[in-house]
Amino acid sequence: MNQAIVLEALIKTVIVIGGLATGAAYLVLLERKMAAWVQDRIGPNRAGIPLTDIRLGGLGQPLADGLKVLFKEDFTPAHVDRWLFTLAPVLILVAAFAAFAVIPFGSVLPVRSAATGTGAPVSLVIAPGVNVAVLYVFAVSSIAVYGVILGGWASNNKYSLLGGLRSSAQLIAYELPMGLGLLGIVVAAGSLNLEEIIVRQAAGGWYVLLQPLGFIVFVVAAFAEAARLPFDLPECEQELVGGYHTEYSGMRLLLFLLTEFLHMITAAALIVILFLGGWHLPGGLTGSTDEVGWFGALARVVVLVGKVFLVIVVFMLVRWSWPRFRYDQLMSLAWKVMLPLGMVNFLTVAVLEQVRWAWRLEGPYWTALLAAAAWGVCAIAVVLLAVAAPGVADNRGCRFTESEEQTG
Amino acid sequence: MNGASGWLCAVLLLGMVALCLLLPATTRRRRWAGALLGLLSLLLMLVEVLLPLVSWTAQAVFWVLAAVTIGAAVAAISMTKPVYTAVWFGLSLLGTASLLLFDGAQFLSIATVAVYAGAILVTFLFVIMLAQPEGRAVYDRITWRWYSKAAAALVAAILMGILTLALDRFARTEVPWAPALEQLDVLHPAHMARFGGELFSKHLLSIEVAGALLLVALVGAISIMIQSGRSPGAPPERMEP
Amino acid sequence: MKADDPRVKWLDVPPMGLAEKLYLPLVTHGLTTTLRHLAAALAGKTVTVSYPEEEPQIDNPLIYRGVHRLNRDAEGRVKCVACFLCATACPAHCIDIVAAESPWPDREKYPASFVVDELRCIYCGMCEQACPVDAIELTSLYNLTGCSREEMVYDKEKLLSVYDATIDREPMRSADAGETA
Repeated sequence: MNQAIVLEALIKTVIVIGGLATGAAYLVLLERKMAAWVQDRIGPNRAGIPLTDIRLGGLGQPLADGLKVLFKEDFTPAHVDRWLFTLAPVLILVAAFAAFAVIPFGSVLPVRSAATGTGAPVSLVIAPGVNVAVLYVFAVSSIAVYGVILGGWASNNKYSLLGGLRSSAQLIAYELPMGLGLLGIVVAAGSLNLEEIIVRQAAGGWYVLLQPLGFIVFVVAAFAEAARLPFDLPECEQELVGGYHTEYSGMRLLLFLLTEFLHMITAAALIVILFLGGWHLPGGLTGSTDEVGWFGALARVVVLVGKVFLVIVVFMLVRWSWPRFRYDQLMSLAWKVMLPLGMVNFLTVAVLEQVRWAWRLEGPYWTALLAAAAWGVCAIAVVLLAVAAPGVADNRGCRFTESEEQTG
Repeated sequence: MNGASGWLCAVLLLGMVALCLLLPATTRRRRWAGALLGLLSLLLMLVEVLLPLVSWTAQAVFWVLAAVTIGAAVAAISMTKPVYTAVWFGLSLLGTASLLLFDGAQFLSIATVAVYAGAILVTFLFVIMLAQPEGRAVYDRITWRWYSKAAAALVAAILMGILTLALDRFARTEVPWAPALEQLDVLHPAHMARFGGELFSKHLLSIEVAGALLLVALVGAISIMIQSGRSPGAPPERMEP
Repeated sequence: MKADDPRVKWLDVPPMGLAEKLYLPLVTHGLTTTLRHLAAALAGKTVTVSYPEEEPQIDNPLIYRGVHRLNRDAEGRVKCVACFLCATACPAHCIDIVAAESPWPDREKYPASFVVDELRCIYCGMCEQACPVDAIELTSLYNLTGCSREEMVYDKEKLLSVYDATIDREPMRSADAGETA
């Protein structure tokens, strides 16, 4: 039984890590293609099957990119702190991969698991039934800060250090609204387990409909945590060359870049699992219970991965749509806008859940009514914040006005 | 004092010397000697005192994690660069979290990582990096010679000895709380919910007091910030064009 | 100019309306712009082309600044009168002319050698503008390649051959300017 547990976990780990590495490589291609399309270009379309003329519309590009990086010199500048310089990319990659231990990539297979011995079906997550999955993702993503901070410091370069400092401040600042956006889910689902959260959504409606405010807060925070535009200050080229990985080259740079895409996948997967119903699709294609056949199980995997893919496409579209925030704007957005919104969300959800629980308001009719209440609160909160405009609306530099010129 | 206690005393003395040699501001040779002595003392401890307590094969993971944790902790206090100290301390925290996880305390483990490694140590690292790149600070140059090191090592040895003896007694006698532990059932799926229930029913007052304390600290920090913003040395609030 | 100079006119930043403070209209505006370009690109309307297979379309070859050519007059002689105006105007100093006594009665000088270093040239078109007889012109040939530096130094024969190759597609700007010089 013990060996079965290890074997099952190992197989799932290989599948997940292989899938993630391949996925990240192809996401690089997708990012380049999207960038090209949005800018009215064609994009990379040459590399195909090696040693032939078959081009496949550029699908061989990740292989070519990987080979190129492998054959580049992995240069260590003389002025860096060697140990930490080497440690940083490894640490950040390990942390990025570790998060996927509790993130499900499907539902269950209609096979009795030999590992648990209880006859429960095999669940498609490396560590099934983790009680604290949500917290675990948080803890691991906070470990990723070390990679950034150490990489920036060990490079012994002002741009790297500034990038590392910016990044760590940003990640720490946005962990709070992210947690607040997530607390509503935990209250509503009554569990910290990601699989359980999906099951609850399949039964009682997606949380994006029930907690719109939480969705907004969480998505914004997820963008910031993944350091994607409009929050890509840790490595904004115009100001910091390359940010914390300015001094890196070759394989170690590849690790950093791979990690960025892994973070994006993590963020997208969390958005899908927490708010967009995970593997659930309305209309009965995927069902909503634990009893599935092979078709249902595969359909759930496809739906979940497809949703994650769509969210990633949105991430990439956003990159070419909106300008980058200035650093003080980023911070005031985190502390003055997202934090209050997150608290309002948490309070709303807590009150609504208590109302639902106290009066036993079950059924689609009451669910719709409660969702409408949540939407109302969301709209009011957003409009109120916009009117109050705590530092976000117009913090462009003040100019001398006429009266001040006279006095000063 | 039986044989095991005598052996324990000898091992602890050895460990004490090792720790003394390992603490910063020594030569490289002394440091190697300290590392070797420390390893030796750990091994001796394992062989004589701890080996009878447990089955080796079942808990290989535990021993590896424990070794990593202790090794990282010793490395943390024997580094001269503050950044390295922080990194080793982080590893030690991760080891502790893994040990907790190994014993089924999922929440404690994750909380250790999230709170200590994720929040507190990152702040330390932040400050260390901005403050002092390497070497010793001015206040480190006042040396108390070897007394401070010896005192630190002595305290560590006494603490470890007491803990080991206590552990030893628990293992040799029938542990009365073992059944109670099983009833608690930390591996039960509702463990988190039960933890929360305990926290917010039995320990509600402590939670509220701690929360109030943190709130007061937060308000205090903000008020200090506002006051320093008004001080004459502060930068002007309006930006010039 | 300093910030407090009285000649500086300061404009106030227009105050933000509710729509701007809400972020939402601008956010959707940005996204729709992106989506519009994305849709157009996916439909095949791109600015770039797959170059070697597909030649780029040059809108107006007559104003494109590519490889130089030396024009011929109606009798097939080189139009240039070796006045050195192009060499003087050239900011990159890439034109080298050796003047000689003209063998023809209608002009005093003609270029015994006329060399343009295409690697030094910055394709600014000043030679074209300076020329009083419209003898030197820039064509729309953009894919200029060579295996050596020497190959990229175009002499009179080569420049005249460029004329021969391109005259059908790109007529001279003024066919009779040379006669009055």
